[in-house]
Amino acid sequence: MDYSKEIRDIAAKLFADGKIDVFVGYRMNGFDDNQVPVVITDPKEVSTLVFTEKSVFNLTNYLKTDHTRGKRVGLIVKGCDSRSLNLLLTESQVKRDRLYIIGIACEGVVDDKGVKMQNCTECIVPDAVVFDEMLGSPRGKKDYIVNADIRALAEKGLVERREYFEEIFENCIRCNACRHSCPLCYCAKCCIDQETASLYNGSNTASSAFHALMTWSLHLAGRCVDCRNCEKACPSHLPLHLLHKQNEKVIFENFQNHLAGVEEGERGAFYKYSLKDPDDFIM
Amino acid sequence: MEAEVKDKIVSIEKPEIIAPPDWKPVIVGILCNWCSYAGSDLTGTSRMQYPPNIRIIRVPCSSRVDPWFIIKALQTTADGVLISGCHPGDCHYISGNYYARRRFLVTKELLKMVGFHEHRVQFSWVSAAEGAKFAQVVKKVTDDVVKLGPLHLYKKENFNK
Ligand code: SF4
Ligand code: SF4
Ligand code: SF4
Ligand code: FES
Repeated sequence: MDYSKEIRDIAAKLFADGKIDVFVGYRMNGFDDNQVPVVITDPKEVSTLVFTEKSVFNLTNYLKTDHTRGKRVGLIVKGCDSRSLNLLLTESQVKRDRLYIIGIACEGVVDDKGVKMQNCTECIVPDAVVFDEMLGSPRGKKDYIVNADIRALAEKGLVERREYFEEIFENCIRCNACRHSCPLCYCAKCCIDQETASLYNGSNTASSAFHALMTWSLHLAGRCVDCRNCEKACPSHLPLHLLHKQNEKVIFENFQNHLAGVEEGERGAFYKYSLKDPDDFIM
Repeated sequence: MEAEVKDKIVSIEKPEIIAPPDWKPVIVGILCNWCSYAGSDLTGTSRMQYPPNIRIIRVPCSSRVDPWFIIKALQTTADGVLISGCHPGDCHYISGNYYARRRFLVTKELLKMVGFHEHRVQFSWVSAAEGAKFAQVVKKVTDDVVKLGPLHLYKKENFNK
């Protein structure tokens, strides 16, 4: 999967035609074979653009920054990225007519070590669902599979699961990188920060991590698209997908197979209801 | 009526923690103003008894309950949480409780996954006329939580020492 040339050509043409002010893409990071996101405003720089299976980041996250606010933006989206873009459009965070979207029919991306990312092996929607132009040959939707780690955890006992997650919360340093790197966490003021108002709560205790990560993942439940931007950003390499995938599983199984951002115009699972939703857990 | 604490109650999530002999569970009850809160009022005015371990917070509708509130209650003082709203179809704002119950299911399942016993957080529909049901529900939740022992997970004060 190497669309570097195609993307350079498209970006150069968009700049030449005056269709965009900025282009959000990937470039080599300059010291190894990994890539970093780049926001290009100068047409001369399009030659630095690349796209390969190392293009891991979800660029729609840059739609919530000042680099792109109010500007006409060219953007590359893979399948999962396009789902988050779909939600941003539905939630009125970006205007469609200001975007030129290059959709990728994605074959999966790899982590730093060259191993295919877990979300890619379980990907349901590899082809971009919203785009102006598509690169690659679409392969269509796949069936939903429950995440392998969630299946393994569900087998474990209560105390074992508690110990496992306690270690995760203990290792969180409360840097908030996960929240900032998530395209769908765009609240101007996050409720989690209410805690940082007092010196003690902002500290990196398991207690404050529990409060922050649980609240965060429940605010993304039914919206998280499993792009794993959060997990890639986490300096402690915490398996944050466990929280999101658990929610995704419960939502898929109980709320009419809901999957975030797959259909155009569809909102998150918590913005709608069905009279048939499970009720038996309520006294 | 105060929930009886037998000797040697261990915390179910952390069996190494034994409840002190004077331990009394704290239940945080978040009640919708229009049904459950009125229901709890009726329980009081009709002089029905229920365990005093519950601390009641009144909200305008069960859909006002952000999962955050539940997390926050568990992180601070609660050993158990009870959320109660109007019966399906009876919400004062027509559909608030339908939205709410989706969030409740997901919250409950996530808490279970990270190692909370499922009885730590419970939900009920109680109407303004169901004073007796409210007493019953509080009794059940309190009894359940007494069996589970003190909640010693991620408590703020445990990190404050
Ligand atoms: S999750 Fe799907 S769309 Fe996203 S990178 Fe992996 S294969 Fe591509
Ligand atoms: S929570 Fe993580 S995986 Fe989910 S949409 Fe946000 S960044 Fe992507
Ligand atoms: S990025 Fe990782 S370490 Fe930072 S707050 Fe999120 S989970 Fe904690
Ligand atoms: S008003 Fe009681 S649940 Fe909505």
